Amino acid sequence: MPGFRRLLSSEWMKLSKSRVWLLVPVSPAIALLIGALVSFDSVSGSDRYPILLSAMGQFHAMFFLPILTGILAAFVCRYEHGSGGWKQLLSLPVSRTGVIAAKLLIIAVLLAAVQLLFAAAVYVASVIHGFAPELPWGALASAVAGSWLGCLPLAALQLGVSTLWSSFAAPLAVNVMLTLPNMLVANSEKIAPYYPWAQPALTMLRGDALDFGAFALPIESLLITVLGSFVIFLSASLVYFNRKEI
Amino acid sequence: MMGRAFSSDLLKIRRKGLWLLAIVAPLGLLAMQALNFGLRYDYFLEQYEDELWEQLLQYMTYFVSMSVLLGCTLVSSLLANVEHGTSSWKQLLALPISRSSVFAAKFALSALLMAFSCVLLAIGTVVFGLSFGFPLSSMPLWDIVRLSFFPYLGAMPFLAFLLSMCIMMRNQAMLITIGVTITIVSLFSTSAPEWLPLNWPLFAYLSDKPFWFAAAGIVTGAAVALMGMIRFERKDVA
Repeated sequence: MPGFRRLLSSEWMKLSKSRVWLLVPVSPAIALLIGALVSFDSVSGSDRYPILLSAMGQFHAMFFLPILTGILAAFVCRYEHGSGGWKQLLSLPVSRTGVIAAKLLIIAVLLAAVQLLFAAAVYVASVIHGFAPELPWGALASAVAGSWLGCLPLAALQLGVSTLWSSFAAPLAVNVMLTLPNMLVANSEKIAPYYPWAQPALTMLRGDALDFGAFALPIESLLITVLGSFVIFLSASLVYFNRKEI
Repeated sequence: MMGRAFSSDLLKIRRKGLWLLAIVAPLGLLAMQALNFGLRYDYFLEQYEDELWEQLLQYMTYFVSMSVLLGCTLVSSLLANVEHGTSSWKQLLALPISRSSVFAAKFALSALLMAFSCVLLAIGTVVFGLSFGFPLSSMPLWDIVRLSFFPYLGAMPFLAFLLSMCIMMRNQAMLITIGVTITIVSLFSTSAPEWLPLNWPLFAYLSDKPFWFAAAGIVTGAAVALMGMIRFERKDVA
């Protein structure tokens, strides 16, 4: 375990001067802007929270979260792609599994920070519209935590693709292109749960927020799918990376 | 000199995913519509028998303008990354070649890649419609050409801006985030005034004066590219 902790701190150090944290508040800030502009003319009471969440979350979870996950996955491999970094890193006494695990953990932590800021943005928007005391914290917490979980399979997949393709932008290009059809895919309850790019949106916008297509599926089966795809993508990335010739 | 820089750039982008992007993006757009029309073909046939082409173009409009903006982002970043990835700006600029031709070659190549995508999209749309049995006689050829090329022309300022930034800065994550943000905000900004360049890709197809927006895109794009070139001339390369 001490080896893993050192791996983590070296990953953290590599990121610390890269200004990656500048990416964290982008989406919550835009979501806040959208949330502040939502109009509640014809609704009142407990209907306001689902409307606010679906307005802010559609944009955040449908587009930004999957794209940001891909950006972060590419980002943690940035140092290694340039000038023989993989060789240097793997010539150290570290296990390849540990390297992947450390990078994945860093991605997960950064995504968690994004989600916390998003929750804060929802709170601020509800203060602006004057219904902060009625904000259902439990529902908000499960939406935020659920979409965080929904990002993890994609993070494992994109991390694998980023190690496979020794370029920073190429895996991102694929990721962005596959995020675009989200709006269409989410309508299909057969395909959407298995589509890693739609999972963050499906796990965030549930129940009262949106209830068509795959958004109406029960959360339990959705989480099982998310967990299953996480296991599959992570083991695929691990098997590939462990056998990769550097 | 620019010609030689251009042909060396053409060589350098092999196997970097750029041609793949240029080919896959229009095919992906059409595949999405194939899914859309394939699943509900009977509904479309029943509801819009006389305007199947119009329906197709209408469904594609927003996706085309989004993809064009995202394409500008990704093409710029991938292209600049050829040099960033191997830290070879130094070597490139040490050659007896002016910086302006290096920049111009990169810009020409990115414009060419995007144009190639647009040609594929136009051909693909026609093939798509005909293979779905849309009537040939009612094919709105001008609309198809307009949808395929004008959003791209309207997005020229962004291509020039993003390419300049991607060449100037090493950290591509910021720039890709900026590009993605521009794209997504452009979906929500159609109620903003039309002089906002963010609206040009979409308005170049949707408005009733498409040439105006396309021309504005080309002129502004050229101006932004020129500014980028001047900055690149003065940049200190490490």
